[in-house]
Amino acid sequence: MRVQLFATCLGDLVLPEAVESAAELLQEAGHEIIFPENQVCCGQPAFNAGHRRAAARVARTFVRAFSRDLPIVVPSGSCAAMLVHHMPSLLDVEPYDVRELSSFLAGSALAPRNEGRRIAYHDSCHMLRELHIRDEPRALLEASGAEVVPLARPDLCCGFGGTFSIRQPEISVSMADDKLADAGRTAADALVTADPGCLMHLRARSERTNGPHVLHLATVLARGVKQ
Amino acid sequence: MSELAQEPDAFRRRAGEALEDDHLQQAIAYSTERLFGHRTEAWALLDDVERLREAGREIRTRTIADLDRHLDTFITAVEARGGHVERCATAEEARRYIVDICRATDAKLAVKSKSMASEEIGLNPALKDAGVESVATDLGDYLIQLAGTHPAHIVAPAIELTRHDVARLLGAVDGIPVEPELGALTATARRQLREKFLAADVGITGANFGVAETGSICLVTNEGNGRLVSSQPRVHIAVMGIERVVPTTAELAVMLQLLARSATGQKLTVYTTLITGPRRAGETDGPEELHVVLLDNGRSRLRGGKYREMLNCIRCGSCLNVCPVYRKAGGGSYGPVYSGPMGAVLVPLMTGLDKAPALPHASSLCGACTAACPVKIPLHELLLELRADLVEQGVASRRERLALAAWSYAWSRPWGYRVSTALARLGQRFGHLAGPGRAWARGRKLPPISRRRYRDRRI
Repeated sequence: MRVQLFATCLGDLVLPEAVESAAELLQEAGHEIIFPENQVCCGQPAFNAGHRRAAARVARTFVRAFSRDLPIVVPSGSCAAMLVHHMPSLLDVEPYDVRELSSFLAGSALAPRNEGRRIAYHDSCHMLRELHIRDEPRALLEASGAEVVPLARPDLCCGFGGTFSIRQPEISVSMADDKLADAGRTAADALVTADPGCLMHLRARSERTNGPHVLHLATVLARGVKQ
Repeated sequence: MSELAQEPDAFRRRAGEALEDDHLQQAIAYSTERLFGHRTEAWALLDDVERLREAGREIRTRTIADLDRHLDTFITAVEARGGHVERCATAEEARRYIVDICRATDAKLAVKSKSMASEEIGLNPALKDAGVESVATDLGDYLIQLAGTHPAHIVAPAIELTRHDVARLLGAVDGIPVEPELGALTATARRQLREKFLAADVGITGANFGVAETGSICLVTNEGNGRLVSSQPRVHIAVMGIERVVPTTAELAVMLQLLARSATGQKLTVYTTLITGPRRAGETDGPEELHVVLLDNGRSRLRGGKYREMLNCIRCGSCLNVCPVYRKAGGGSYGPVYSGPMGAVLVPLMTGLDKAPALPHASSLCGACTAACPVKIPLHELLLELRADLVEQGVASRRERLALAAWSYAWSRPWGYRVSTALARLGQRFGHLAGPGRAWARGRKLPPISRRRYRDRRI
């Protein structure tokens, strides 16, 4: 199938390896990738902060860059939720066929690259509660040979929350600590999430506290967890 | 409404104090998980939770859409049974009416059962000023009153106190030391409160619901204090938000199933009391007078608007119990009365956004509250709406609006994105010195902008 890849701003700027991995996985699953060069951002950072005009200004870049004729695959649960739930009403446009990466890849035959690895999976909030994607990323991890070790509270927010992370940095960091401690108790080889926002925040905290490795689902599936 | 207003930095400051308090952190995590665990078990026993939630949502929505008619029916029914209903538009009116009743009946001592509405109107200080001693009789509320603080949770007000705190507080009442042991503590509280019940002139309760067809006030408690407060003193005053009305007892039954299960995981609370009028001729107990204070205090402004679903709230506390931010910040950070997601939505709506500008942002928008709400209020979406209103109404700072506008213009064109992110990469090693980067860098590494963006890596 031909698909359009939306890197997202955080993917493009901060996690380009994760987007490369997403592209590799799509190709491995037999898809042909189109990368619209003029893509920018879905506008979510401003939208969630209440700045709707600013959000609309940025989200229009998405409408200009992407076609409605082919599915759009996004390696980010919260950007996918923004595009599915908020963008159509924000810009008064028809919805696009937007798919979060793991739900799009569900059932695809991918090489098992995580034999013997123990992986803890963190549900990102909008992916879980707005897109209702829970089992697909876990199934992909298991199919890659990993043992998915359960977190005590996989559904508990990691504390990123967009601008929340800088408006309430103390609470935000404390929530990250809870998530990292939860992952630490499982003694997993890595804490994995499908959302660049959660990932950036958790990794930034984990690097300060020598916590667990925090990796994007796409990286883990495409390249395996290194020990 | 000044009772609920707070400074812009109050939330962050108080939350910072709460985060430093290890005991508080443990107590909130323990209590909220226990309450929500009970709730989850209780919901699992229902055949079709979603149908019950939908029934609850439908009853609340339909009733509030036709609130005037249901309130008229309620008022007529209360008065037909010998009670009096006073409609109060503001907290000030409600306080004045209650103080006047106390004066008219020459009351010296009032006992209260748990009522968030009476907290909302700041009743305790008003009674004190009027020379009426008021004693909270819900155990948690009683302890909070002794400690001189505010409820930390709308259902379980004293969750942050240890048994040692409780022993100290109770022991100080009459100078008799109490063992910090549960049996001794409850026996002491019971002895102290019994004296108050017997001596009280006025009993003040809230109202979990008011039934329009019968004119009944429904109280939901676990300690039995609600019954003593509403039956022992000569005068009973019930403070009821106008949105608490349900049309019929059949609909009350649906709401009670949702409330008890959601609040504490009980099928029914230990005491579910229906009070219909004051003492009638030939009856041996009950108050001589029943006054229902129907409190508006900003509620009717929400009717018909985009925040109308907030009036569906039944104050069960589920959204507090699941909220990861409440769990860190504690109840006090949201102000003296309402807390958690329901408080973060309701308080700014009652005070005006400029009086509580931090609360719509006191959430990571994780949506756990919306998923937990028994009447399906989209709490995190209402917070998002409030954030948009902060910007629209110019409450959000000029600096913030300018920054977001500049960002959005830069990112409204692909070349603007390329240039601005290339510049940001050059400047990023100074990012931790000011603005958002500085807040981020409190405990976290700044995420480096990659030397080669994904779009530069292709080909």
